Amino acid sequence: MHQPQPNRLHDELDALLDGRPVELTDELAPLVEAADALRLELSAHQLDPEVADRHLERVLGGSALVVPMPTPPRPNGWDLRRRVVAVALAAALVLVPATMASAAALPGQAMYPFKLAIEQLRLASVQWSPAREAGERTRVANERLNEVRDLYELRMYNQLPTAIRALNRAVLAAQVAVAEAREEGEAVSGLADELNRVVNAGVQVVTKVATAAATGSIVGLTGETAAEIQAAVQESPAVKPPPADPAAPPKGSGGTAAPPQPTSAPPPTQGPAPTTPPTQPTAPPTTNPPEPPSSQPPTTTTPPTTDEPPTTPTPPSTQPPDITATPGSIGFGVGGGEDKGGGGDKASHGNAPPTSAPPTTSP
Amino acid sequence: MLGFGGEREAVSKVGLTAADLAAARRREPAAVTRVYTAYAPALFRFFLAAVGDRHQAEDLTGNAFLSAIESLPRFRGPVEALGGWLFQIARHDLYDHRRRQARSRLEPLEDNLNEAAVAAGAEDPEELAMARLEGSRVLGALRQLSPDQREVLLLRMAGGLTAPEVAEILGKTTGAVKSLQFRGLASLARVLGLRSPEQAQERPYPSPDSGRLTSQEDEEG
Repeated sequence: MHQPQPNRLHDELDALLDGRPVELTDELAPLVEAADALRLELSAHQLDPEVADRHLERVLGGSALVVPMPTPPRPNGWDLRRRVVAVALAAALVLVPATMASAAALPGQAMYPFKLAIEQLRLASVQWSPAREAGERTRVANERLNEVRDLYELRMYNQLPTAIRALNRAVLAAQVAVAEAREEGEAVSGLADELNRVVNAGVQVVTKVATAAATGSIVGLTGETAAEIQAAVQESPAVKPPPADPAAPPKGSGGTAAPPQPTSAPPPTQGPAPTTPPTQPTAPPTTNPPEPPSSQPPTTTTPPTTDEPPTTPTPPSTQPPDITATPGSIGFGVGGGEDKGGGGDKASHGNAPPTSAPPTTSP
Repeated sequence: MLGFGGEREAVSKVGLTAADLAAARRREPAAVTRVYTAYAPALFRFFLAAVGDRHQAEDLTGNAFLSAIESLPRFRGPVEALGGWLFQIARHDLYDHRRRQARSRLEPLEDNLNEAAVAAGAEDPEELAMARLEGSRVLGALRQLSPDQREVLLLRMAGGLTAPEVAEILGKTTGAVKSLQFRGLASLARVLGLRSPEQAQERPYPSPDSGRLTSQEDEEG
């Protein structure tokens, strides 16, 4: 008796199940009947319409959160990591050379905004630590000082007013940051010393620039630029040279354009300044700029430190600081930046801490 | 006799097109509803036959459909392949469900029936259970098949997929699927008492032993 090949039976059964015209043999009939019974059983179970509505509501409800556009496949973890690495590598390839190139940029140069942006990033990255922020702001102040010096040496006088104001803001911000760090219990005596060196050197440099502008001893310096420099110096109490003896006013026309009053004197205290004397002169004399409130007892041997609160509020000093005795070596390191944003805010709190006080030689 | 591939016919009646698929990718409600109407009943039957519990089957259907709609932007095939793709998702979800449940593939239907009878407030739960047991006799018979045979039959009968589509989902040859289908239905017929006496004498149906089936499938595949 001829028996159909198994594969042929399988094909015929499959065709029957699909409704294709195939002869229903006795051998396949019970199988088709079982399939019918199974299908009949399955078809008896219908999805509840309420359940269906719930399913659709669930699916369509989530659609409100989806942008109604075809979305690209979401990268898996490996792709995501590759993208992160690629972006980081590209950023490094761009940022590292740019950072190095911008490190020596001066105000007015193309790379200078990039330098400031990097400084802001560095400041933002250390704001979690008062001590680190104080250190970073001290470095920024030092960098502003270097810029003033470089601008002067490179005879880029037009940028000096801006650079002097930036130095003033950076110093004030650093002083506030150091004071806040000390208030937080951080050990910042070293930073305070460093900042003192920056301040003293700043006073020295600014004094040199102001004197040169006032006396007209700078070749190529126009009267207008000299007046702007003088104005900037007057608006920069943190690095402003002490007023000269009224009996012997400086020669030159530049001095006349400078306003007698500092316009950026520290406002009333808002920020912490633990070493600030409680009683500060609220209205400085018209002839004397406000001295930083940390007037230390006269000394020429021990530089003032922020750890030593002044014992008594001293009247504004009329004596020029001994800018030749105290400035230490000022590093020309990379870093620092103009105090925009946070730095300005800190500076605007006014009330320069005692660390900014240049050592006085008043008798 | 019922026509097989009914769900696919339903899809054709709904008229799912490539435009519907594209619209469903964008989660346009009308298109999503069309896709759901076309495939959700089949998914539900597939799950119900696999897990034996209506509520679990409903949940699995909803989850599988939600997964499918969320993954639809990644589906690159033609609209004709959508059914197979959906049941691939359903199959994976079912495996995950079984792993979570860590129990028998088919729950004791009696327990479910008792619960259903009580929940329905039937005066005679036993009568209700017997009535439904008669209907569940076929599903109960499925438990006696090998897992491969049962899966093929469910995808074919509940999912309305063709043998080549089932083969693609399972990673087997079409011939192997047809063989599993043949032997599974033969076993089901035997369990249901549908075999004619002469056939029983002439040639016994192959047992659902998976080892034997595998060896035969290898020869055919």
